[in-house]
Amino acid sequence: MSRSVREEETTVARRRRWGRRAAVVGAVLVVAGVVTGAVIASRIEWSDNAAELDAALIEAEPIQLSSIPAADGLPERGVFAQVTSTGHLCVSDAPLRSPRMGGGGCNPADDPLGGGSISASLAYDGGPAIQAVTDARLIGLASGDVATVRVLMSDGTSRAIKLKRARVGSDEYQAFGYRFRKSDLRKGIGPAAVVAFDEDGAEIGRQPTGIGS
Amino acid sequence: MRKIVLLLVLAAALVFAAAALATETYGGPRYWYPGEGAGSSWGSGWTRNAFAKPSSGPETTVTFIDNSSYGWHATIRNQDMVTYTNWWTSQVKKGHCNSNSGYHWGGCYVS
Repeated sequence: MSRSVREEETTVARRRRWGRRAAVVGAVLVVAGVVTGAVIASRIEWSDNAAELDAALIEAEPIQLSSIPAADGLPERGVFAQVTSTGHLCVSDAPLRSPRMGGGGCNPADDPLGGGSISASLAYDGGPAIQAVTDARLIGLASGDVATVRVLMSDGTSRAIKLKRARVGSDEYQAFGYRFRKSDLRKGIGPAAVVAFDEDGAEIGRQPTGIGS
Repeated sequence: MRKIVLLLVLAAALVFAAAALATETYGGPRYWYPGEGAGSSWGSGWTRNAFAKPSSGPETTVTFIDNSSYGWHATIRNQDMVTYTNWWTSQVKKGHCNSNSGYHWGGCYVS
């Protein structure tokens, strides 16, 4: 075989190799582009949904359901409900005069208790170490068949929570707001669970909670 | 070809910049194990922090951490579909979120 023929074959083989490499690189780029596009799209959709709920909460009228009494030099606060245009019922713990400046939780308006008999939010300032917490509160909603609610503390004792009848739209609930004693927090005693009982004293709902990470 | 790539990169950067001005998604959206947490960037403009999930059930915490004492502020912990808090202060802070129970999908964002 002459030298020029061998060189021509080498050149053809090299071109084929480059062609295969280019195809592989192209395929990798296409796959990477699709994956990146999907990730970007999901993040943008996520941000859009978040922004939509934020905007809906600004628009929705807060309704005061209950209150958290003043204690230990801390001011009274309110338990507020907002039914949003996004189809959520949000329950928050907020200053009485600034009901949109608090925090809490949102569930679908047709299932605000998340399928249970009680839905509670623990709110606190300070921490995460319990002794550094300056104010801790418990708010939430209970269904109509709940007779009593108690919060179980980390030392094994429990505290009674007062329930107040509350109407949101056409639905009846029982709302509650409770402030933990500073003396408990200083001793490192915090909430461990919120428990709902029926009129016979049988437990019908339990939600674990706690201060710290 | 180079011009097209440059244009695409520029467009993506603009989209991200516009989104970043309003909201920072700092944790996920992804699957979370109990005990996992995430933190946002530091900023004085953040006022709202939320952990959003597709449904209620998993217990989650959201809070703000200040940049001087690193203490927690306006912490909220619940099992709701969206756990959210607001802390209205110009102090430099970051959003922090934690998943406390279950293996679930969700994401945390500050705005």
